[in-house]
Amino acid sequence: MKKVLTGLAALAVSVSFAPAAFADAHGGYTIGVSNTVQGNGWREEMICAMRAQALVEGDVTGLIVAHRNTDSAGQLEDINNLIEAGVDAIVLNPSNPDALNSALEAAMAAGIVVVAVDAGVTAEGAYILSNNQEEYAYLGARWLFEQLGGEGDVVYMRGIAGVSADTDRDNGFRRALAEFPGIEVVHEVFTGWQQDQGKQQMFDFLATGIPFDGVWTSGIDNVIVDAFVESGAPLVPIVGADNAGFVGQLSSVEGLQGAAVTNPGSVGGAGIALAVDILNGEAPDSNVVLVDPVLWENTTEEGRATLAAAQNPNLDPEWPVSVSIPGWTDYTMEQIIACEGPGEG
Amino acid sequence: MSAFLRKHAWVIGLAVLLAVLLGITKAIQPGFGASGLESLARAALPFAFATAGMAVVVIVGGIDLSVASMMAVCAVTAAVLMERMAGVPALMIVLGVGLAMGLINGALIVLTRVPDIVVTLAMLFVWEGVALLILESPGGNTADWLERATRGFVGIDLLPKPFVIMAICIALVWVPIRRSKLGLSIYAVGSDEMAAFRSGVPVGWTKVAAYGICGLFCAMGGLSLAALTGIGEPVPGPYLMASVAAVVLGGVVLGGGKGGLLGPIIAVFILRIIRTILTLMAVDPNVTTIVEGVIMVGVVMLGTALTLRGRRS
Repeated sequence: MKKVLTGLAALAVSVSFAPAAFADAHGGYTIGVSNTVQGNGWREEMICAMRAQALVEGDVTGLIVAHRNTDSAGQLEDINNLIEAGVDAIVLNPSNPDALNSALEAAMAAGIVVVAVDAGVTAEGAYILSNNQEEYAYLGARWLFEQLGGEGDVVYMRGIAGVSADTDRDNGFRRALAEFPGIEVVHEVFTGWQQDQGKQQMFDFLATGIPFDGVWTSGIDNVIVDAFVESGAPLVPIVGADNAGFVGQLSSVEGLQGAAVTNPGSVGGAGIALAVDILNGEAPDSNVVLVDPVLWENTTEEGRATLAAAQNPNLDPEWPVSVSIPGWTDYTMEQIIACEGPGEG
Repeated sequence: MSAFLRKHAWVIGLAVLLAVLLGITKAIQPGFGASGLESLARAALPFAFATAGMAVVVIVGGIDLSVASMMAVCAVTAAVLMERMAGVPALMIVLGVGLAMGLINGALIVLTRVPDIVVTLAMLFVWEGVALLILESPGGNTADWLERATRGFVGIDLLPKPFVIMAICIALVWVPIRRSKLGLSIYAVGSDEMAAFRSGVPVGWTKVAAYGICGLFCAMGGLSLAALTGIGEPVPGPYLMASVAAVVLGGVVLGGGKGGLLGPIIAVFILRIIRTILTLMAVDPNVTTIVEGVIMVGVVMLGTALTLRGRRS
């Protein structure tokens, strides 16, 4: 019995401490974050961008981050907990466009602003902010086709069949292809967005000896360059994403011509900025906001300077190097690397 | 009275702990009320079924590592079927599928004599693959009444529907079995297989039945996942580890023969409310899992120490 009493006393102490820890989360806005993939470079950058942006937004005094590996039911639980916590806005990277509607509708009914980043949700009234994937593919493909002089054979390496980002990118790629009738796709594969799989696919295709003039690859890029280098094949122009590894190769690999198209994980920071705008009564006209990508190439002096500026040895090699989105995010490189939000730490 | 207290000390202790945690939640967030209880019950629903299934096989002296995969199979089966046919027959088929998967697990263990941990580890991958075959990417649909059944309250505003459903479903399956010969056999096989065999208990059949019950509970878990999300997801969720944790915290002895289903279910609520509290307190998400683990080990250690002391005195 004595043990039990001691235990209860300990719990009572923790009760009396808890409200004190929570009390300072009022005054400005408290924003809740929900994400269901932990340990992936892109997602970690997204979370850090959210924290950094919340820190520099003067109106945000509290940030509650629910960030773990879970399924849609787990994300529902997290969103419901955020509603209970009384947040003013929820910024989430949805695990599925349809599965979260019950919680998102409950949130909006409670007057909470809902912003989905990176992927969409079908709940009526939610805001969606994501990278413009169609433009992403179009921009890179057009650069590649121009580089080839409007004529030649290209290898087209896609992501995962049936995933909306892949479908959008395919539309953009086809749009560019239609503008260059001299360009032919000699080989089309799905890498599954897996580094090892993409590399093996490139090895296999190089081994067939079928000639080609360029490669467009959907985010699996540095290993494709590795495949060329390791098999001793002559390099062709390659278009990839702005992952730190590939951006480094664009500066360091001799004879490599290529371009990196930005797909910033910092879209999370933009989501926080959008949520604050909406809370301040400055909602955008449309519920869907697309962030346009930028292309960095290494064939001009100017492009090489941009690439060099984007690199930072302190940056996690798994992160996309585009750590900020002009016009949306306001934090510094140091702040996103520090990865600290308001009222945390 | 004191005999009752001693017999159910662990469960009573857990209930007190849950009440204290609810009190803490209320203290942190004074607005925590009926809607908070409802979302807690909703979050606990799939975990409770996974835990009930796991508890039965642990009591019989085994373990089933494929619970999360079986839930995924049942969730996608429900979502695919309910897109094409009426809800009630689809629900019956899903329960049948779950039962069949559990029976297959049990039969493989009994017939091949390969250790349960190996068989169910292999079946974890088999059922995961089956789920992906049924539905490659998240999709499908669930019956509206099933979705509605997991929302809102029964009568007064204090009894959330998901809680009532959980209690009824688990009681409907477990209470009759617990009071029958099969229930006695499950405990007998779990505490001493050889003694049970020598007393004439059909050990093989009992094990197969226990795994079958586990499959049935997993089917309910899968149905609850489909009901909560409105779709089917082929990739298994985090229910395996969570169910083992709740079973241990709930006072079921790994190795078998001791414990019930009430303790583990209360433990599920304790683990869910801890997550709610940590979210309310805006604890760093990377610290959250550490706190969850530490609390679990702490409670089990304290409980064991108290039990040992009680036995000595």
